[in-house]
Formats: sequence, structure tokens, C-alpha cells
Amino acid sequence: MDELKQALKEAFPNIDFDHEEHLVDDGLLDSMSIVNIVSMIEDMFDVTVTMEYIQPMYFQSVQSMWEMIQELS
Amino acid sequence: MSFLLFAAVVLAAYYLVPGKCQKYVLLIGNMVFYAVAGIEYIPFLAVTLLSTFYAAKAIGSIYVKEAALLSDCSDPAQKKQVKAQSKAKAKKYMLLALGISVALLVICKYSLFILKNVNKLVVLPFLDTFQMIVPLGVSFYTFMAIGYLLDIYWKRYQAEQSLVTYAVFLTYFPHVVQGPIDRFHEFKSQLPLQKKIVFQSDRLVKGAQLALWGLFKKLVIADRLGIFVSSVYDNYQDYYGVILVIATVLYSIQIYADFSGCIDIVSGVSEMFGIRLKKNFNHPYFSKTMPEFWRRWHISLGEWFKDYIYYPVSISSFVRKFKKKPKKKEHGEMIASSIPAIVVWLITGIWHGAAWNYVAWGIFHATLIVLGIVFDRMNQKIIERLHIKNNCFSWRLWQMSRTFVLCCIGRVFFRAASFNASVGIFQLMFSGLGLHFVTPGALPNYGLDWANLFLAVVAIIVLWVVDMLQEHMNIREKLAEQQWLFRWVIVLAGVFAVLIFGIYGPGYDASSFIYEQF
Repeated sequence: MDELKQALKEAFPNIDFDHEEHLVDDGLLDSMSIVNIVSMIEDMFDVTVTMEYIQPMYFQSVQSMWEMIQELS
Repeated sequence: MSFLLFAAVVLAAYYLVPGKCQKYVLLIGNMVFYAVAGIEYIPFLAVTLLSTFYAAKAIGSIYVKEAALLSDCSDPAQKKQVKAQSKAKAKKYMLLALGISVALLVICKYSLFILKNVNKLVVLPFLDTFQMIVPLGVSFYTFMAIGYLLDIYWKRYQAEQSLVTYAVFLTYFPHVVQGPIDRFHEFKSQLPLQKKIVFQSDRLVKGAQLALWGLFKKLVIADRLGIFVSSVYDNYQDYYGVILVIATVLYSIQIYADFSGCIDIVSGVSEMFGIRLKKNFNHPYFSKTMPEFWRRWHISLGEWFKDYIYYPVSISSFVRKFKKKPKKKEHGEMIASSIPAIVVWLITGIWHGAAWNYVAWGIFHATLIVLGIVFDRMNQKIIERLHIKNNCFSWRLWQMSRTFVLCCIGRVFFRAASFNASVGIFQLMFSGLGLHFVTPGALPNYGLDWANLFLAVVAIIVLWVVDMLQEHMNIREKLAEQQWLFRWVIVLAGVFAVLIFGIYGPGYDASSFIYEQF
């Protein structure tokens, strides 16, 4: 999960990924950011994110993204 | 007004019957509403309703069986196979229902447009007599049905088992004509399925307040400005210069007051039934960028496009290829980000109407979004290099003004009767100043006298102030905290404003809304 968090911090330096737990609901991640994160996750973890997982609940925090990756792999 | 009377009758029945009958009251009310609008529309609505409901139900059954099979097997390869098989089966049902719904939408809404264009290449003798039924709210209910179907297919929710509940959602009379484009599972959670929604005077009062505000926007502002805008746009060849700019700006205010007014009316009525519709507007003219504008304008449509078009296109293998192809990674990302935006905006344009001016409107906004993506980094660098303060009021005002102007340019395509008319309006707009069109003596040409013009300006200021306040507070909550006398003065002022200053009489159809035609 640290690897993911580090990559997210580099891609979105203005977002506090250590503490934010409502990234989508608070408007910190928009649709374009989510698509970029999906690409990043697919490249880093060799998984395919399907439409089932393109929901706000999977992108609200680093923890929820990590849980999605676990499910996918 | 007949809509409000109809709602009052359904509302009375809704609260008088036992809880288990409330959803049937809604269903009967919806059916009567739709049948009165046009009995010939019902078969089209029924086909979309039944095809999406039963396809979703079949998909739901496939996934239940899949879950049972998965719990019995431990081999990952076997699990993968089970999943692939059930997905393939589910896909067939999804595509069948999706195909039926989209085909009906295309046939009803676009066949005449397609045939007219074919007629330019090959003469179609039957075209003069060809007529197509366009069911009321077809664009709205089709999108709601497709959204539900895809939510089930993508395993976001479980399929609904009650046809009545689904039918109440799809045909719900407050949202079937002009939206908002609600989502089934958000809607269902508010229905009186387990226990009765009991009458609450507070709910009735708040709903009525919202509907009253909607009527003010529609009857006092939108319909008044509409007289001016129509007199200029319908005879645009007679004008040039600044009057066309003024008419376009006023049209931007008119369409906002009209559409958001309608949404306030239907949302207020729906609140009286204890059902909150999706929020559709968030003061869009305070937006600082075009993407922000589209997150604040017709929100339910924007979210629909994001969830069901933008994301699937963005993560499709076709778009992913572009990320890897170009030598420079950032170029690939730009292309990959631009394609979904172009697709979404072309469909958005076509969704609004079967005409080339709507396509041009979609292309205009796609271009703005793509330019925003391409020049984003350069823009940031310029701001940094020039040491522009981007967190002060003056910068925000510049951003808001720029967004409004861009929006107004797009509105020319939207309001013009055709693509050729929009091109003509742009040409005439820059053919001279035409100051003689805006002298006091020319005012009667636009259907408004001084008193009406003054009233329109005052009403727009009221709208602007209320929107400003709503950015920071919930006005209805604040109003509820005030003394009863103050509350009633405000409400009665609203009622009298609508009754006295609303546009009524021959030639004006208070029940006609701009977005109804979409």
C-alpha cells in the first residue's frame, strides 16, 4: 500500500493521501483523476480495473483503493 | 397550473390511503399523467420499461447462480471460468435491452433528422407525409432505464424484483418530462415500501416554497425574457451588432431560469410526497471553468454521462492503446483524456436535439474541454511566470466572466433555429455595432415596455442575490428559523409576485418549458 500511496502523492502533490478519506465526495478527485489513477493501478499492479469497480466507494481513500486492488488480484 | 392541481389530487390520495397502497397511488397517478399527455406514447414507454426490467432481472438471476457456483469451487481457474461464463450470458441480456431502448430513442427522436439528411442524397418521396411520434420525456426515461440496466450488469446493485416499484420509478410524473435523471436505487430507498410515508405539514410547506421559487423563476423571469429573446432570434436577419449580444446574454439567463425553475417546481412537488429528486443545479453561472460549469448545470445528466459513457470509454481497450502508442507519455495521456470528452460531448449535443446546431454546440464544448486538457500545463506555467494571484476576488471574477462568455457563445448554437441560422447570427453579431437597435425608441420592437424591462432587471437581481446566498447557506432552513410573520410575508410576496408579475394570457404557455422538447 505504501507503494501506491507514494505514487499517488507524486501524481497529485496537492492532496493529503495520509489523512483524506473522502477523496471523491470532497471533490479532490474528479473523473479525469480517477481515470488516471485507474491507469496507474493497472500499470503498477498488473490488474485490470473493470466497470464494476469504477465507483466512488473504491476511490475515497488509499485504503479503499488498496482493498480494490486486493480484490482484483 | 394544471400540473400543480393534478399533483394536489394525487397528493391527497397518497396521504389518505394505507401505507401499502401508496406506491399504487403513485403508479396510477403516473399512468394518468402520461396518458393525458398522449395515450399513443404509452407503448413506447412500456417497451423500454419491460425490456430493461426483465433483462435486469435475468442478469440478477445469472449473478445469483454465479455466486452459488463460486462458493462451491476453490480452484482459481475454475472460478475465473464461472465468472467469464456468467458475464457472457449477462452481456447478452444487457445488449438486448440496451439495443431495444436505444433503438426506440433513435427511431422516435432521430428518424426524421436521419431521413431528411438521406433525402439530400437520395430523394425520399414519402418524406413530406412522414410523421414520427416523440413520446413525452423519451430522452429522460430512456437514460434512467439504461442507467438502471447498466448498474445491475456492473454488479453495483441487485436487480429489482417488483415491476410495480420499477414502474413507479421510471414513470414518476415529477421527473418523467424534464428530469432530473434519477437513479433507481437512490429513488427506491425513499419510496413507501416498508412503512407509510405519513403526512407532515413541514414537508408540504418546504416543498411548496421550492415550487413557488421555481414558478417565480419560470413565470416572472424566463417567460418575460423569452419575449425579448424570441423577437430578436426569430427575426435575426433584421438585426446586427450589440442587440444580438444582448439577446444571447438574456437567453442564457432565460434558459437557466426556465430549466432550474422547472426543476424547482417538480422537486418541490416531489418533496411533498417525501421523495427528494436528484439535485440538478448548483448556481452554474458562478463557475470559474467550463468543466466546473458542467458539474453545476444539469448535474444529473452530467453524472449520467460520466458514469455510463465517460468511464466506459476512458477505460476501454481502444482508448488505453493511445496511452501506450505515442513516444511522449504526456501526449498519449492527452489523447486518451480527449477521446472520451469528445465522445461525451458529441452524444450530449445529439441528445439535446436532432439537428446540426446541437451537434455544433456539442463540438464547441468538446473543443473547449480538449483545449483545456491540452493547454492545462502551459496555462499553469503562464500563471506562475507572470506571478498572477489566482486566489483573489478579481481573478475569480475574471474566470467567472470568461466562463459565462464562453457559455453564451455556445448558447447561440443552442437557441438558433438551425445551424445556418447560428452561423448567420454570429456573422451579424460582428457586422457593426447597431447602436440604434438599443435606443429607448426601439424597445417596443422587442415586445417589452419599460415597466416590464425594469421588472425583468429587478427579478434577475433577486435571482442573483438568492443564488449568492445559496452558495453559503440553505435559505429554506434559514427561513424556517424565522418568526412566522416574517416567513409569511416572504411567502406571500412570492405568491403575489408570481400572480401579478408572471407572464400569462393568450400567446403564452406557462406549462411550456425549454427542456421539455429534449
